[in-house]
Amino acid sequence: MQIAPSQSKREFSVADEHVYDRSSPVRWIVSHLLRYPYLLASFLLAATLTNVLFSTVPRLTGLAFDEVLQPEPNTGRLLTIALSILGLVIVRGLLDMTNSWSVETLGQRMERDAREELYISLLGKSQTFHNRQRVGDIMARATNDVRQLNPMMNPGVSLIIESSMGIIAPLVFIAFLRPELLMAPIFFVIAHIFALRRYVRQLNPVAGEQRWRFGEMNAGLTETITGIEVVKSAVQEEQERHKFMGNARQVRDLYVKQGEIEARYLPLLLLGVAITGAFAHGVWLVSRGALSIGELVAYMGLMGILRFPAFISIFTFSLVQMGLAGARRILQLMKEETELDENKAGHTATLRGDIVFDHVTFRLDNDPNALPVLKDISFRATPGETIAIVGQTGSGKTTLTKLVNRTYDVDEGRILIDGIDVRDWNLDSLRSQISTIEQDIFLFSRPIDENIAFSLGQQTDQAAIESAAKAAQAHEFIQSFSKGYKTIVGERGVTLSGGQRQRIAIARALLTDPRILILDDSTSAIDSATEDQIQRAIKRVLEGRTTLLITHRLSQIRWADRILVLDQNEIVDQGTHEELMQRCDLYRRIFAKYD
Amino acid sequence: MGFIMDGLDAEAYDREYKDRQLLARIIRYFKPHLSIMSTIAAMIVLNSVMDAAFPFLIARSLDQLEGAADLNVTIWQRTAWLIAAILLSGVLSWSFNFFRQKYTARTVGDVVLKLRQDAFDAVLARDMSFYDEYSSGKIVSRVTSDTQDFSNVVTLTLNLMSQVLIVTIVVGLLVFINPRLALITLAIAPIVVFVALAFRRIARYTTTQARRVLAEVNANVQESITGISIAKNFRQEQRIYNEFKPVNRQTYRLSLRQGLTFSSIFPILGTIAGIGTALVVYSGGIRVITGTMSAGNLYLFIESINLFWFPLISIASFWSQFQLGLAASERVFALIDAEPRLVQIEDQLAPRLQGRIEFRKLDFRYTVNEKVLEDFNLTIQAGETLALVGHTGAGKSSLGKLVARSYEFQGGQLLIDDQDIRSFNLDSYRGQLGIVPQTPFLFTGTVADNIRYGKPEATDEEVVSVASRVGGGDWLKALPQGLATSVGEEGKGISMGQRQLVALARVLLQNPAVLILDEATASVDPLTETQIQEGLEIVLQDRTAIVIAHRLSTIKSADRIIVLREGQIIEEGNHAALMARGGHYAELYDTYFRHQSLEYIESWRKDSQNIPAD
Repeated sequence: MQIAPSQSKREFSVADEHVYDRSSPVRWIVSHLLRYPYLLASFLLAATLTNVLFSTVPRLTGLAFDEVLQPEPNTGRLLTIALSILGLVIVRGLLDMTNSWSVETLGQRMERDAREELYISLLGKSQTFHNRQRVGDIMARATNDVRQLNPMMNPGVSLIIESSMGIIAPLVFIAFLRPELLMAPIFFVIAHIFALRRYVRQLNPVAGEQRWRFGEMNAGLTETITGIEVVKSAVQEEQERHKFMGNARQVRDLYVKQGEIEARYLPLLLLGVAITGAFAHGVWLVSRGALSIGELVAYMGLMGILRFPAFISIFTFSLVQMGLAGARRILQLMKEETELDENKAGHTATLRGDIVFDHVTFRLDNDPNALPVLKDISFRATPGETIAIVGQTGSGKTTLTKLVNRTYDVDEGRILIDGIDVRDWNLDSLRSQISTIEQDIFLFSRPIDENIAFSLGQQTDQAAIESAAKAAQAHEFIQSFSKGYKTIVGERGVTLSGGQRQRIAIARALLTDPRILILDDSTSAIDSATEDQIQRAIKRVLEGRTTLLITHRLSQIRWADRILVLDQNEIVDQGTHEELMQRCDLYRRIFAKYD
Repeated sequence: MGFIMDGLDAEAYDREYKDRQLLARIIRYFKPHLSIMSTIAAMIVLNSVMDAAFPFLIARSLDQLEGAADLNVTIWQRTAWLIAAILLSGVLSWSFNFFRQKYTARTVGDVVLKLRQDAFDAVLARDMSFYDEYSSGKIVSRVTSDTQDFSNVVTLTLNLMSQVLIVTIVVGLLVFINPRLALITLAIAPIVVFVALAFRRIARYTTTQARRVLAEVNANVQESITGISIAKNFRQEQRIYNEFKPVNRQTYRLSLRQGLTFSSIFPILGTIAGIGTALVVYSGGIRVITGTMSAGNLYLFIESINLFWFPLISIASFWSQFQLGLAASERVFALIDAEPRLVQIEDQLAPRLQGRIEFRKLDFRYTVNEKVLEDFNLTIQAGETLALVGHTGAGKSSLGKLVARSYEFQGGQLLIDDQDIRSFNLDSYRGQLGIVPQTPFLFTGTVADNIRYGKPEATDEEVVSVASRVGGGDWLKALPQGLATSVGEEGKGISMGQRQLVALARVLLQNPAVLILDEATASVDPLTETQIQEGLEIVLQDRTAIVIAHRLSTIKSADRIIVLREGQIIEEGNHAALMARGGHYAELYDTYFRHQSLEYIESWRKDSQNIPAD
């Protein structure tokens, strides 16, 4: 618990946060467990006692045998023994309950705490980090991996403790009967470990391959069905059938193979042999008068307890393995450093909105051997100008805009804003004055007015919200909902069309009033019936700020102050519509069909 | 703890079937494996006998020991064969179980494979209405997962068989040895069953609740992560954290309740079994003392409690799990049995078609109440390009689907080259159709594979030639590896516009007599858009084409425009003529197409200065 997460690099922290050791998965889990020492102690103690009592029962039945086999048996003593067994199993039940409840509570708390820890850590990560990470990936860790922690504790760790105690306790009791009786059980334990290792080595690859192949079969079938119109119109049913049956047959073969490996699970055979050996050994000792029949019965009962660990070990190890792998992935995510320096001492000023790209080259992942995503880009946007960026998908348009607010840093050349290199700006000052309206607009599952006024926190000024919505041409459709501005939207509310979401984002940007706006307008549907309104809203939000506009709408390209034509990661031309119509073939080709 | 967890996912699916029919059907799948199934049954019986024999033989040996207590010399002679038998029973029990599992895996594997094949064939035989009705996810899960669940019926039944057998053999043995003590021993059985069933009920309740809150906390995390840039931009991290915390606590509380329920069951059942042991030790011990029972049998009684209390729990939960397996097989069979809706009257091989299409007094509806076309008449000349326009639901796509023979119509006639469409062999007819769906679909593979999809025998030269004819071939340069560029799941790694170009090239290679094109509505970048338009011009040449049009330039170049409203043709003619009429088309143009026109683009340049703020 010695290493505190580096506070300086985080953008968010909570006052009463518990600090865990993140140096390795095992240490991390242990530090989580140590947060609740009493629960941990009560689990370990109860688990041990439960198993000791478990092994005591055969001992008592053995005593009962000796009693009834005596020349003059005493029913009173038999009753005492029976009552002892009764008392014992009840106490054992209570202890077992304590053990299960403790470990379950531990597991659940661990899951809860880990989820909270991860959540806080994610909130503290920079935007750069989040831009790089896929949402699906983070979600998989925040849901599945966190979820694995609880079963790892119960039944995973709990069963491991129980089955090791389930081996140790009977062995100790057997040793008390007569040390040499340990021969058969120890043979079993050693053979069991080897057999189990072999079993796991055989099973894991086959089971993994089967899961993978099943996934392939599923994915292939999904593809066939999604593309069924193409399959049918191209009369390619036979080809698809061949593909599916090939996968299905392989799944079948692997299933059969796995079934055979499972059928060959040796430990149960070993146990049968060991119990027979133990019995023969016991009988031999009885014949020499070294062991009573009751003790032999107790011995057999204790050997029988080994059945549980033999049976369950395969299951527990995989649970713990999965939990550890999950913990490793969670840690990896939490430990990921954000490369970004916030440059707190950097330049802080009110932006005017003058952007200069000076021979900018950019490669993904800082890889000098990679082909550049942007090659030698130079242009200037003066305050208030609207620059439209035109180019095919993959030509680098989006990347270009992401260099402005330092989502990425350039590899060669430089970008100046108001004459100062972006890397010399205070990051906070820079970013807070640059807004981005992305292709996919995200709305929180909360009322529309809160979404529009998200930047203002709880203090919502209804009049300002409405006037922003009106300017963004959103007021009308918001009013058409029965709850108006209080309508809940987002994933768990009313589903809005792309155009409607876009206009809400524009209203949000109008309230925030950034100096530089980056607007990615490339998702519009071509026959949008509200085209005029959207155009108006966009026109309104561009007023008075420098805008980089990625657009598919010819009308917007037409009225931009300047147009950058990107082709294969380079600027092939830039200028006004008239200039480009005169000299740029590529550009002319676009407009040619309208003449 | 599968016996409790399984079955909680049960959903109220349509369940109108007779168990008997279903079982008969399942058994039919196993018929080819009759001999191997009888071997499995024999193995189960033998395995159960061996499992029960193990404690029985030990009990008998104990009796020998007891009797021989004074005759040291003969102990070995009297027990040696018993010990050998114990070893043998252990080894045999394992071997029988080995063969049982091995053969079961093979049979189940084969049956599931056959079932998957039948389900897959059934799916492919369906017409398009089927795919429109059911989501692809649901169909896939019927073919792959439900067939898997179905195999549970088998494994469960086999397990049940062996457990019932063990319990029967053991109980029979006990009753035979000492009926009254057997009765006392069995007293715990109903309690075990009752407790197991009661737990199921509680578990079902707490699990449903825990799942719900878990879904809630996951949704909360998902939203926070997806919207993190907004939260960060506006510095609202604390606020979303404050919302997350109580949800997470609530999840913890309810999951804990569920967890505690589950972790109580084994301690409780174990205690009940222990109480049974105490009971048997005492009342059995008394019988040994009074000489009515041997000590070996006392051992047998004590051991038998361990031998049958676990099978009892499994038996108690068998029925609900079995029902689930049946429900899964019901879903699979329902899929296989679904009636094809296409009516064919003949099966003639279609000759090379001219492409003349005539709808004659045609009636069509998707469902009984939902009339789409009624008494519909339209003739499309061979080689004509026909653009269909109209609001959503006007019946535009229905026309295409009927010609593609994806749906069956209810009245009137549909003639292709003056011959009834129902008389053509489906494959030979469809082979002459080209269909470009609104969202172009690409299969996993390379761009070239996808272009070749409809004509697998096409040479590389042919592929290159069609690809470069579409859009002047410029788009190939934008692909990282040209035609060899691989496209992943649903065409990842290639843009929407490029996918449309691939779909056009695919159809061009197929060289169909009739083309049905549903234009995409998603906008693509202006350069690619230009290439698509150029590509379309080539594809539409020399064949009959029905285009559900969204692009002004397509409409303008069409030979004829049909305006549909509620299944009726309300206007037809070319762009200029329809605009001059100032009717419905002019209205549609204003709403949907005007902004694609040069006038509009230019007008924005002038008007934009004067737009009022609100």
